[in-house]
Amino acid sequence: MGQRQRRSAAAATLAACALLAAACGRSAGGSNSSSDLVSPTRGLVITTPAGTKPVSSVTWAVYRPVNSLDPIFAFDYPENTAISLMCESLLLQAPDGSVGPGLATVATPNPTTMVFTLRPGVKFWDGDAVTPADVVYSLDRQMLPSYGGFYGQVFNRVKSIAATGANQVTITLKQPDYWLEGELSSMPGIIIQKSFAEKQGKNYGTPAGGIMCTGPYMFKSWTAGGGVTAAADPHYWNAAVKPKVGQIVIKGVPSAASFTSGMLTGAIQGSYYFGLSNLKQLENSSTVHVFQGPGQATDAFIVSATTGPLANVKVRQAISLALGRQAIVDQVYDGAAMMPRWLANPGTFGYGKSVFTAAYDKSPVLTQNLAEARKLIKEAGVAGQTITIGTSSELASISAETGAYQQAAEAIGLKVVLKSVSAADYINFFTSVEARKGIDGFITVNYGDYADPAALLATLAIPGGDQNYDNFSNPEMTSLLNQAEGTANPDQRAALVAKAEELAAKLLPWIPSVQPTNVLMLSKGLTGATASFSYMFAPWADNLGGT
Amino acid sequence: MRWRFLARRLLMLIVSLLVASFVIFGALYLAPGNPITALSGGRALPPASLRVLEARYHLNQPFFAQYWYWLENALHGNLGISITLQENVSSVIAARMWTTGGLVLFASLIILVFGIGSGVIAALRPGLADTSVLVSTSISAALPSFVAAIVLITVFSVKLGWFPALGNGTGFWSSVRHFTLPAIALAISSVAIVARVTRAAVREEADREHVQTAISRGIPMRQIVRRHILRNAAIPITTVSGITIASLIAVAAVVETAFSLNGLGAYLVQAAESKDLAVVQGISLVLVTAFVVINAVVDVLYAVLDPRVALGSRAQ
Repeated sequence: MGQRQRRSAAAATLAACALLAAACGRSAGGSNSSSDLVSPTRGLVITTPAGTKPVSSVTWAVYRPVNSLDPIFAFDYPENTAISLMCESLLLQAPDGSVGPGLATVATPNPTTMVFTLRPGVKFWDGDAVTPADVVYSLDRQMLPSYGGFYGQVFNRVKSIAATGANQVTITLKQPDYWLEGELSSMPGIIIQKSFAEKQGKNYGTPAGGIMCTGPYMFKSWTAGGGVTAAADPHYWNAAVKPKVGQIVIKGVPSAASFTSGMLTGAIQGSYYFGLSNLKQLENSSTVHVFQGPGQATDAFIVSATTGPLANVKVRQAISLALGRQAIVDQVYDGAAMMPRWLANPGTFGYGKSVFTAAYDKSPVLTQNLAEARKLIKEAGVAGQTITIGTSSELASISAETGAYQQAAEAIGLKVVLKSVSAADYINFFTSVEARKGIDGFITVNYGDYADPAALLATLAIPGGDQNYDNFSNPEMTSLLNQAEGTANPDQRAALVAKAEELAAKLLPWIPSVQPTNVLMLSKGLTGATASFSYMFAPWADNLGGT
Repeated sequence: MRWRFLARRLLMLIVSLLVASFVIFGALYLAPGNPITALSGGRALPPASLRVLEARYHLNQPFFAQYWYWLENALHGNLGISITLQENVSSVIAARMWTTGGLVLFASLIILVFGIGSGVIAALRPGLADTSVLVSTSISAALPSFVAAIVLITVFSVKLGWFPALGNGTGFWSSVRHFTLPAIALAISSVAIVARVTRAAVREEADREHVQTAISRGIPMRQIVRRHILRNAAIPITTVSGITIASLIAVAAVVETAFSLNGLGAYLVQAAESKDLAVVQGISLVLVTAFVVINAVVDVLYAVLDPRVALGSRAQ
């Protein structure tokens, strides 16, 4: 149990940079008003003003072409962006991260029973109503290993999923799981049409098979050259939403330089492009609007050492204290990141907001304090010892950030050895025990499936968590997170998770580097897209249109 | 003679393809990482899902069994399924082939027209024309295509707005507009090389005794250039043009990435990174075939240009 989703978005930013290294040098831009952004949401927008005028066509860039439109294989920015544009999930994650009714409403008559009632009138693009059979089929596809989906572990506490009425589906749990609602407002909860998917078989979600979903933009075509094209559905079931863009083309643009010139010339009209080094150039452009919204990803140093200096909590604290985080904010993110207080990005406060925000505001910002750091190293008695950091010199952002950690460790009397691998092999640090051998840690950008600080923390701070590379184990942490998963009341759950986060900020199972904000870029004249990280999990173009 | 030439070339092509496919398959097999990991973005999959996916793509079988499985299918015209795209490799290739083909063709045209043209002018018109060709070719020969791409985009798309910065375009003229900058970026250093070789070859022929004799006999210059100089200089020019054009196929990947064109090269890089074996194999075979075919065409040209050269033997 406790095994939850995880992403190595690292691989994402990177690939974007990997191909054209020259285009990915970091401009050492002046510091933004980033210190103003310490508070959870100050200065950030969750959405942009709704568009009012129709627009015929919009080209939307993602960092590489979309691989799959099947939600069971959606794990990365391009797939999530395309699927969340067209498909809808059982519950819905709003731009502020809160979970509400989606295609269905949910009731919890007892802690181990979740009853979903389909909203009246919900139908697929072909006009057929969404039935409980479609829901059961969609969830089974996610859950059953025979489909090879990525989200099977999400359903660990599920005993059965069954249609229990004309418009009702009941999930019976082995034990209470209040994290499941969050998951069902994300990729694991996407509902597809059973008859269509069965007919397409393995072709479902591929260019050959297409998809059948319920969203305001319907799948139109998917050509290898032109990306995925979605067209406004004039018969969309939800009368409250009127899609205003004739068609949206999701296009893969692997080169950051090419992306920037595309935005500047208007060949690309919008994007959530991630980790852009020349953001300032776009911010200063007269043709592009750049928005920053709450992020849900955390940029952190994964501690994978089970022995040696980093296995000692004092050494981790010392490195955290010695780290020049502002330089990372300025140089790697060109201002689009915040100083951390917790491991969780405050953009993940999707429920119990007041509880989270109060606790977060009370926690100290992780600022630099070299004197304190040196004192801790002395106490630990590890001066002169060596730590080995896994990195890739081909990946500009990873490499720059590794440099910051190297600098921090050396400033407090540790020796640092870098083990650099190719951009393509960087992913092996996450997946292969062999690759991690002799490595004490490495950089990641990581996020959960929905807005909950626990979604990420549970993967790395509970024994058996799938990102718990250093076998971190702390009884208090484990108990807090386990209690949270079984706590119905959102504020009480938030209080437990907040305590776990405060603990994590002290014990540092991972060392938080910075909290990236979610960057949205729109051509002037275009508005209405979701500005928060929720775009990864829920329709983001419902209000997109012209000004 | 002709049939023997064709048969020999065909045999060469088949052997090249077999060797290349084995070497590429082997290299990718040995390289660290596995396609399922790349597919799941490093997410730890439940063991049961992992087993299902591995069995689906025959990844659980030994190396030779995997290669044989691929080869057998390839011989039956089935290049396999892309693991990341879940699409037939042949349709992946078909959809992207015209981008790379068009780009290489456009760039070749630029190389032939501007490379040979400026080389001939430089050789026959010493002075300003010669010097300016020499200077400009010195600069452009040293310009890697990815740098050229960035400069061209910055100047002609972002600043001047004359050409689109990315994408393939729809329809013929729109495609020409979209492909102009990429083709220039791809061609620019090759233009310089072809111009240099052309200039040297034409100079050398122009200094030959029979040319001097012809001049002294008062034969019109135009005729001398066409009959005696260009005809004889054609063989080295064909050789260098053939080699540079064949090499464009490989360099195209860089330009395609810089201009976000969905071509074979850019996709080959992406597929190699995600260890998508079937795609890497399929695209490589297309590239190897194109390379061999271009070389065969060059050989045929030798025989056409110089009757002394027997078909299939290398020109001196």
